Amino acid sequence: MKRMTKAFFAFLIALLPMMAMAQIDGEFVKPRTGKFLLQNATVVTITKGTLNNTSILIENGKIAQVGTSISAADAEVIDCTGLVIYPGMIDGGTRLGLVEVSSVAETTDYAEVGNVTPNMQALTAVNPNSEAIPVTRVSGVTTVLTVPSGGLFPGTAALINLVGYTPDQMYAGFKAVVMNFPSSARRGRFDRRSDDDIKKDNEKALKNANEIWDKAKTYGELKANGAELEYYPEMEQMAKVIAGEIPLLIEVNAAGDIQNALKWIEGKDAKFILSGVAEGWRVADEIAKSGVPVVTGPVQELPTRDSDRYDAAYSNPGKLAKAGVKVAIRTNEEENVRNLPFHAGFAAAYGMGKEEAWKAVTINPAEIFGVADMYGSIEVGKVANLIVATEDPFETRSEIMHVFISGYRIPLSNRHIRLYQEFLERSPGLKAN
Amino acid sequence: MKKINYFLAALMGLSFSFASAQTPKGSVLIKNATVLTVTKGTLENSDVLVQDGIIKKVGQNLSAPSGVETIDATGKYLIPGIIDAHSHVALDVVNEATAPIVAEVRMRDVVNPFEVGIYRALAGGVTISHAMHGSANVVGGQNVTLKHRWGAEDPAGIIMQDAPRTIKFALGENPTRVHGRGRGIQPRTRMGVEAILRNGFNEALQYKKAWEEYNAAASQKGNTTLAPEYDERLQTLVDILDGKIIIHCHSYRADEIYMLINVARDFGITKLVFQHTNEGFKVAPEIAEYTMGASVFADWWAYKFEVYYSTAFNAAILQKNGAITSINSDSAELIRHLYHEAAKTQRYGGMTDDEALSMITINPAKQLGISDKVGSIEVGKQADLVIFEGHPLSVYAVPQQTYVDGIKYFDIKEDADDQRLRVSPTEMVEPIYMTQEDHRCLQDVELSFSDISKSLFNTNY
Amino acid sequence: MKKTLLKASVLGLLLTGLIVNNSLWAQSDPSGKKRVTSQYAITNATVFTAPGKAGTKATVLIKDGVIQGVGASLNLPKEAQVIAGDSLFIYPGFITGGTDAGITRPADPERPQDFDSSKPGDEFAGITPWRSATDQFSGAASQVEDLRKAGFTIAQIVPDGGMIAGKSAIVLLGSEYSTNVLKSNTALAASFRGARGMYPGTAVGVMAKFRDIYQNTKLTQKNSGLFQSTSGVSRPEVTPTYDAMMEVIDGQIPVMYTATSELEVRRALALQKELGFKLILTGLDDYATVVDVIKAANVPVLISLEVPDDKAIKAQKDDASESAKAQYSRVKEAYENALKQAALLEDAGVAFGFTTVGVKAGDVMKAINTMIENGLSEDAALAALTTNTASILGISRIAGTIEKGKLANMVISTDSLFAEDSQIKHVVVDGYIFDYETKAKKKKGSSDVSATGDVKVAGTWDYTSETPAGSSGGVLEIVKDGSDYTGSITLDDPSGSGKIKSDIKDVSLEGKTLSFKFDVAAGGMNLTVSVSGEVEGESFDGTMSVAQFGSFPFKATLNPTLIATK
Repeated sequence: MKRMTKAFFAFLIALLPMMAMAQIDGEFVKPRTGKFLLQNATVVTITKGTLNNTSILIENGKIAQVGTSISAADAEVIDCTGLVIYPGMIDGGTRLGLVEVSSVAETTDYAEVGNVTPNMQALTAVNPNSEAIPVTRVSGVTTVLTVPSGGLFPGTAALINLVGYTPDQMYAGFKAVVMNFPSSARRGRFDRRSDDDIKKDNEKALKNANEIWDKAKTYGELKANGAELEYYPEMEQMAKVIAGEIPLLIEVNAAGDIQNALKWIEGKDAKFILSGVAEGWRVADEIAKSGVPVVTGPVQELPTRDSDRYDAAYSNPGKLAKAGVKVAIRTNEEENVRNLPFHAGFAAAYGMGKEEAWKAVTINPAEIFGVADMYGSIEVGKVANLIVATEDPFETRSEIMHVFISGYRIPLSNRHIRLYQEFLERSPGLKAN
Repeated sequence: MKKINYFLAALMGLSFSFASAQTPKGSVLIKNATVLTVTKGTLENSDVLVQDGIIKKVGQNLSAPSGVETIDATGKYLIPGIIDAHSHVALDVVNEATAPIVAEVRMRDVVNPFEVGIYRALAGGVTISHAMHGSANVVGGQNVTLKHRWGAEDPAGIIMQDAPRTIKFALGENPTRVHGRGRGIQPRTRMGVEAILRNGFNEALQYKKAWEEYNAAASQKGNTTLAPEYDERLQTLVDILDGKIIIHCHSYRADEIYMLINVARDFGITKLVFQHTNEGFKVAPEIAEYTMGASVFADWWAYKFEVYYSTAFNAAILQKNGAITSINSDSAELIRHLYHEAAKTQRYGGMTDDEALSMITINPAKQLGISDKVGSIEVGKQADLVIFEGHPLSVYAVPQQTYVDGIKYFDIKEDADDQRLRVSPTEMVEPIYMTQEDHRCLQDVELSFSDISKSLFNTNY
Repeated sequence: MKKTLLKASVLGLLLTGLIVNNSLWAQSDPSGKKRVTSQYAITNATVFTAPGKAGTKATVLIKDGVIQGVGASLNLPKEAQVIAGDSLFIYPGFITGGTDAGITRPADPERPQDFDSSKPGDEFAGITPWRSATDQFSGAASQVEDLRKAGFTIAQIVPDGGMIAGKSAIVLLGSEYSTNVLKSNTALAASFRGARGMYPGTAVGVMAKFRDIYQNTKLTQKNSGLFQSTSGVSRPEVTPTYDAMMEVIDGQIPVMYTATSELEVRRALALQKELGFKLILTGLDDYATVVDVIKAANVPVLISLEVPDDKAIKAQKDDASESAKAQYSRVKEAYENALKQAALLEDAGVAFGFTTVGVKAGDVMKAINTMIENGLSEDAALAALTTNTASILGISRIAGTIEKGKLANMVISTDSLFAEDSQIKHVVVDGYIFDYETKAKKKKGSSDVSATGDVKVAGTWDYTSETPAGSSGGVLEIVKDGSDYTGSITLDDPSGSGKIKSDIKDVSLEGKTLSFKFDVAAGGMNLTVSVSGEVEGESFDGTMSVAQFGSFPFKATLNPTLIATK
């Protein structure tokens, strides 16, 4: 007996019109663009409420219309009766595309040599053909921030859509220089520096950060005055941060470090985003007061201290949101960015509530990253990043029926699904030879 | 009983006899729950009566005997305690990585009942975990099955004394890296892994024969035969061949899984469970036919090369091919939401509720040899139970209370902030760990400097 | 068989006595060091003859290392040198159940070309039951002098090594003219310490290996018996390990298991229950929660003579948040329990002794006074220093109290022993009198001042480091080169097996802080490792930072030069 998943079945049905349009090379299905009418669904717009019996027209990669009676005779009609449509989810922090197999150093491209390398561009190293990308997008995650890590200023992160064959096709309009804020936390169980040493190391690193900052400031000022300076790409990039052209994404997690980071930010004109913020709940009010937005996660994570409640990480996004912080959720993953809806689901269950949790993976990251005019909700004129599902996509039992990214209809296939197709009923089986 | 050396039996007898003092057992009546028995279907609005740690009655309108507390679970779900078939929680040492075979090593020697991970697992509804030796060796140490009786001071108090013996095996990248590449000894390849296994079992057969011959001779008058050397390593392999120990084998690739099936068949071994088994789906018919199944991750893949060709549909393919399939954690983090990991089999393969739940209850119980005692809500079984708010397979489910042997060890309403059982007297500033070391399959493996980076920042499952 | 051995050791004692007597016939001493007489009378002192006994005014007469009498009206022989004890207090000499003072770990043997870390020879794996502490001991080491200065007259010296380090011995901390050995082969020193980079590498491997050795010793004994009683039997192979373990399986000597934590205590007890050897638990640091377990097991216990440092307690901030305060209170509770644990043992009726392995002799009295402040009775403290340990070591007949016929071992202090400003003025060991300067009032931190003035780092250090990979170690050699330092370090070869040597650079010594760097080529990368920490006497306690990978503890000890090898 075959018991196919609904999604897979839907996928097969979806093939039929494509065949007619000769979109198949052999058995391969490509993403394709066009004019699509998603008809008669429950549309969760995020920003404009939930609309019943509503249709969406996708044209030129954008959401062209949202309404109850859209007439578009030339559009390919997809019946969505009984289904729900959400905006595509945005993961505010990943290494997607920068890592293929994490234990194989040759396939990891997120950490460059050097402590001050803000000029390293994650977008350059993104592999558009990473196996993890199709694995991710069928879960409804359509856009991710892909982030370099390593030294003090490890590089420049980029927001990408999970469709396209060149970085430029994928680029979703936002970059940020990453800073690993000097930490007073231990790096793991085997970091056995004394408390004093940790403090000293931390102070030293902070001093170093300030020096870099001041140097970049000087560089920027001199340049602005028309000075001809020696080629200095690191400072070139840092100066853009100081000038407010590129935001600074500050990775910071321990409560004391967050406080230090907020202090460090004070009086600086640049744009700042906090990232990680594992112990944000301890200092939520202070973060809220600062007005600095936060990308937090992973949510399915252990507490940072043995004495913490078991649900410290689950409840962190909710506590931050309640305090008034603008919160986006990230997985901090590579191959399993597909779990973003589940991280958000846990945040919802542990105090954040579904509505806020949905915002934290859609409109909030879009706003934090300054791309809310294009992403993060279902509104006319925004980029057509949409997911159609049988029910709330945070639920594991929900089946994602259709995914659109940048207006492209995404084939619901990937390595995982292909292996399922091949091996569910293996041929030859046990005895046949 | 097979005629093993009496002398040794006398020596070894001691080691099996010091089962702990009586473990605490409780009584409780849980009323009006939606009871997901796993093996006997779903019972709406039903009651479960527990007395002295055992499920005594399951039905409706049960009344509590005097002195037995009643818990109202109206609107809530009751499921059997979750069983994690692969964990390293509560172990002070995980790997004795120094030899390709270390069957003599016993994880029960280094159980640490104070690890807060036990409580955190309880908060995720996990009542039993299989605390395993790591994956550095072809034949690792003997694992220990734990019951999460949080608060026990004696390590013996959290050991499930009535669980059968199990042992860790490991194939593929880990043992070949640690021994072949790390130390320049076999195995360096998957060929070598097979050779280590076959050599080991053949040596064990010789060992067994030597002792049998000695025992026969020693009982004769005027015996002039010397006793052979005692070797607990080989004796343990003999016990495996005699069917006394269940093998739990860390494995990823289909070829190596198939290899071990062949080795097991050649040596008449049937008690074999595969762990991780990322490519188990490729040899699902063989796993179903010849073994006790596979215990897998819900969706982990691509963290190392041997799991690059994986699918999250693995569990579903295995299950549909008739293999006993469980979902495990191998992680102090994942162990806290195994109900959610099991639920992923609904997205990846459309498992029914019972199929999904069986993967974290009765199926791991079968693989650990304890399914006659735990793993479902049935009269006569040990009362390991979890009350959930929301269906346990919903992403929004929140465990409310967790019982082991009828005693409540977790209650979300009475969950104090600081659950540590032991506090260091010399650390006022509590360490904050940002890189949680929750993946410990290769913990304690001595690595040289060049490997430090790998062990610190890469996953080594 | 047991009795025979006891007799043998008593005979040994008698022989030791003879050696002392022999010295009477020694002739001239151009060095002028020889004492004039071997008879002393400490007159009219306040004498505490045993724990629990009230002090009484009395004279103690000793001769040739033996107490001749204690009383108010003794006839003093003409040969007795009189020491006016009117203002002094006399206690039985202290006994430490274990010390590493004067012990040097033997060098690791050279590894053969075909060394296989999965089955190393016993000597490589830290299994050396045939070794004796006496071969590793130098009575002239400064730590021995420090120990005596703290009032210790008898010590069980513990060999340094791996999981089965060897046999301990009991020595007097006496005259340089004597061998001072009271008893050798007193106990088998065992621990859960794994071997570096080879089998067994961890506690779980160590426990398995211990069982294996134990069972095979039994079999070897059985086979040997058959070989001796029956003709036509092949000669059984007897390894040095099994040979040396015979005394253990026969119950002639106990296994002295180092078990610092409550879980290690339980593990040692579990092994003992399983295998049936005689057990002494030693080195207990953290045992407040297993007092009842220890009591029930009824095994002798040597607790570590130290208390946890109060740095953490002092680091507490007043302006902390409520939740932080809740945490503080738990640490405080843990700290207070740790101070109380000796008292808890006393309350449970466990007659424990002390071990000073890993403890600085100079801190001993402070630790005891802290225990007393936290509930330990003075009598129990004194018993732990004297009679209890004597009994655990099986030397009660000759030591532990001040009685006629016992060894002339005494501590003579300026005030009652545990009084605040009490100082030790004399220590009598084996009839020899050691004098110490006493000061009217000790200056605070005076020892620190002198220490910073003269920090010695040149020499050969044995180091260990803890990394995620487990412990590793080697030899650090520091050479003084004018006002600078150079040197080298050996470490486990990153590319696999064996040791490599690397030069150290940027060696600096500022105050007590020693730091240096070295490079390691590993996996195509060149890593710079920096080490920094504090030198305290002959020990170095620091951290090792490996590029961005983190910092790990790095400890080293400066090798004392063995007197014997000079």
